[in-house]
Amino acid sequence: MSASTSLKNYKTSSDIWDEMICSDGIRDCYTTFAQSIENMSLEELSAKDELAKKLFMTQGITFTVYSNNEGLEKIFPFDIIPRIIKAEEWKTIESGIKQRLKALNIFLKDIYGKQFIIHDNIIPANLIYSCPVFIREMVNVQVPFDIYSHISGIDLIRDVDGKFYVLEDNLRTPSGVSYMLENRIMTSRIFPDMIPNNKVQRVRDYPDLLLQNLLSLSNLQESSPTVVLLTPGIYNSAYFEHTTLARLMGIELVEGRDLVVENHFVYMKTTKGLKKVDVIYRRVDDEFLDPLTFRPDSILGVPGIYWAYRKGNVAIVNAPGNGVADDKAIYSYVPDMIKYYLNEEPILNNVPTYRMEIADNRKYVKENIHRMVVKKTNESGGYGMLMGNNATAEEIEIYLKAIENDPRSFIAQPIINLSSAPCFVNGQIQPRRVDLRPFALFGPQGINIVPGGLTRVALREGSLVVNSSQGGGSKDTWVLA
Amino acid sequence: MLSRVAESVFWLARYMERTSGLLRVLRTNYVGSQDELNDFSWKSTLQTYGYLKDEKIESVQHNSRKVLEYVMLDRDNDASLINNITRSRENARSVQDNIPKEVWQALNDNYHLIREANIERLIKYGDPVLAFDMLLKQGMCLHGTIELSMSRDEAYNYLNIGRYIERCIISIDVLLIHLKEVDFDLTQSDDAPLWRYLLYALSGYELYLKNNKGLLRSDLVIQQILYNPNFVYSISYCLRRAQRYFQRLQQDSEDESFQSVDFLLGKASNDLKYSSPDLKDAQAINEILINTRKNIIETTFALNKNYFGI
Repeated sequence: MSASTSLKNYKTSSDIWDEMICSDGIRDCYTTFAQSIENMSLEELSAKDELAKKLFMTQGITFTVYSNNEGLEKIFPFDIIPRIIKAEEWKTIESGIKQRLKALNIFLKDIYGKQFIIHDNIIPANLIYSCPVFIREMVNVQVPFDIYSHISGIDLIRDVDGKFYVLEDNLRTPSGVSYMLENRIMTSRIFPDMIPNNKVQRVRDYPDLLLQNLLSLSNLQESSPTVVLLTPGIYNSAYFEHTTLARLMGIELVEGRDLVVENHFVYMKTTKGLKKVDVIYRRVDDEFLDPLTFRPDSILGVPGIYWAYRKGNVAIVNAPGNGVADDKAIYSYVPDMIKYYLNEEPILNNVPTYRMEIADNRKYVKENIHRMVVKKTNESGGYGMLMGNNATAEEIEIYLKAIENDPRSFIAQPIINLSSAPCFVNGQIQPRRVDLRPFALFGPQGINIVPGGLTRVALREGSLVVNSSQGGGSKDTWVLA
Repeated sequence: MLSRVAESVFWLARYMERTSGLLRVLRTNYVGSQDELNDFSWKSTLQTYGYLKDEKIESVQHNSRKVLEYVMLDRDNDASLINNITRSRENARSVQDNIPKEVWQALNDNYHLIREANIERLIKYGDPVLAFDMLLKQGMCLHGTIELSMSRDEAYNYLNIGRYIERCIISIDVLLIHLKEVDFDLTQSDDAPLWRYLLYALSGYELYLKNNKGLLRSDLVIQQILYNPNFVYSISYCLRRAQRYFQRLQQDSEDESFQSVDFLLGKASNDLKYSSPDLKDAQAINEILINTRKNIIETTFALNKNYFGI
């Protein structure tokens, strides 16, 4: 069978936005790509699919699952068909993200400073102070250039109306950018010439932009600042990403045990003694960063690093304490923050969110649980989540009980029909649900968003969960020029 | 360079070298076991590269396939080939940003190769020599990749120090085991196939033939392994190379650290260089080997202390 037959058999649903097909046929942005593959046989596409898997494996683009002392190599599933976004849509996404990040960054400065947003009754104080990731130690800390969220990976979904909605802002340590870069390289290998023929904007500038931002954060008196990437180590599932970024930026990849603090300065242990560190791009979560300030049992962090940061002797990226802006209950206030801080209307909408500490909301959600997704406010990665439409009565009961016990820790959102995009699954081109995670870099010179991002795919038919930990995969994302 | 990175690069090279050393020993012994030799025993191999109890060794020492499976593929055997390759790769994983992508990929290929069902099938039911050759070729490809892609910076120097120290230890151990196998009697064993196999195991047979016109004499074999400056598995050659790569680290070292390791490496090299044993006296050879090994271990302790921060 040829790909064109498979494309003809491609079935979309009226209540789901499909990225490739609309009522008039193939959307403009997909036309060139569809024409390029229509003469290919499905066997040819299968061979490309196999080649991609093999290349991921041989290049070590894997994560390791350890059990019984045996490391099991796994690749993050990759779908060969790119997701294509037209230039105008990207402009909206870009300006929407910039607006959002500006507001969130001011919010973080405000909430760890004078707290005008609380005094003006925009956000209730108890919501902030009950947030477990609001770090009191960050109050009144002078953050370099007043930037908190240097790197963020905003999760966007598209509803049936064709509009993009923000699902999460991911202002802490978002991962996936290495897959954005590797997926692009993979596409250029398996579909030669297609990227230039489609006039796809490039994503490879990401490491350069990131390095520029990191360098500019150092103490200005330092002519040649030392920038390092702090990783939890080889057992972390994102370790591949850490090494990739360190290599692409030409910076040292360090673990907590490589660093030491002396007189509130951070040093790394080298073969020639101690060397001062100026900027740390950390991929270690807040709570593990400094056992003297946060979790005392952490062996991933560096004792004393928080005070070195507080004294301005080292820059830490992203700033500690960003979790408060990632809290799913506080997320519901982001449109209000945009209006309050920027005096603008939000360009990108939030998904309607019901905070469970409000009794009316609880009642509504309970009555409509089968149309709701319930989430824990401080979990991510698809954990701590209940999809009401698929859950058993028992699972629902457990969640409802947990909500009653601790309503602050839960929110609910209506189940949004994520848009579908063509994927090559089981030897056929079939629709699967996708989201989009563009990566934004916030530096002293402004906000940069490389045109593209990580499109995550729910590879199981009918599934809405795209997280890699829950059986999701990814695909290359093309933003056309 | 980070101390941890230096240590990992050093150990990745040691495990890499240990892997190829073990492969050559196993290949030679396997070929030997299929030769006309009667009663070939894997006993010394099992004692050196495994942790089996004596009674277990007695029961499998004549079963080549079982031995190979244990020494090559058994994850419960700490000294097995697969564990060496895995450790080499784990060390490389933690320093990926300090080695070229090509080296990481070559190491990764090595790791995937040993885990292939084909290798297991060849060892269990097919031709194990084919499996040895595939793995050895992959190892050589890795060495070539290192030479062609790595910049001559600190990482390259630590890698080579690790490589030559390990190779030195392997050559010493292989010769020590051999002396034991001939019961420390070097007068009766000239031209015995055992000496040929010893040279095979260290890839030195062709060089020996070129230099000695086909005569197989134990003292000449031992001389080649101890002193030959052109034989890449000779102990003397390995020590000189380790010294050479270490001296390149001088400008990236603290003076005291450098001097302490340099002294020990120099001592190891000179002790060997200025020894003049009777090459027919197995006990004298044994003493030199033990002393050199001790010097090398002291050097590695000094590296740990002064460079790797252990």
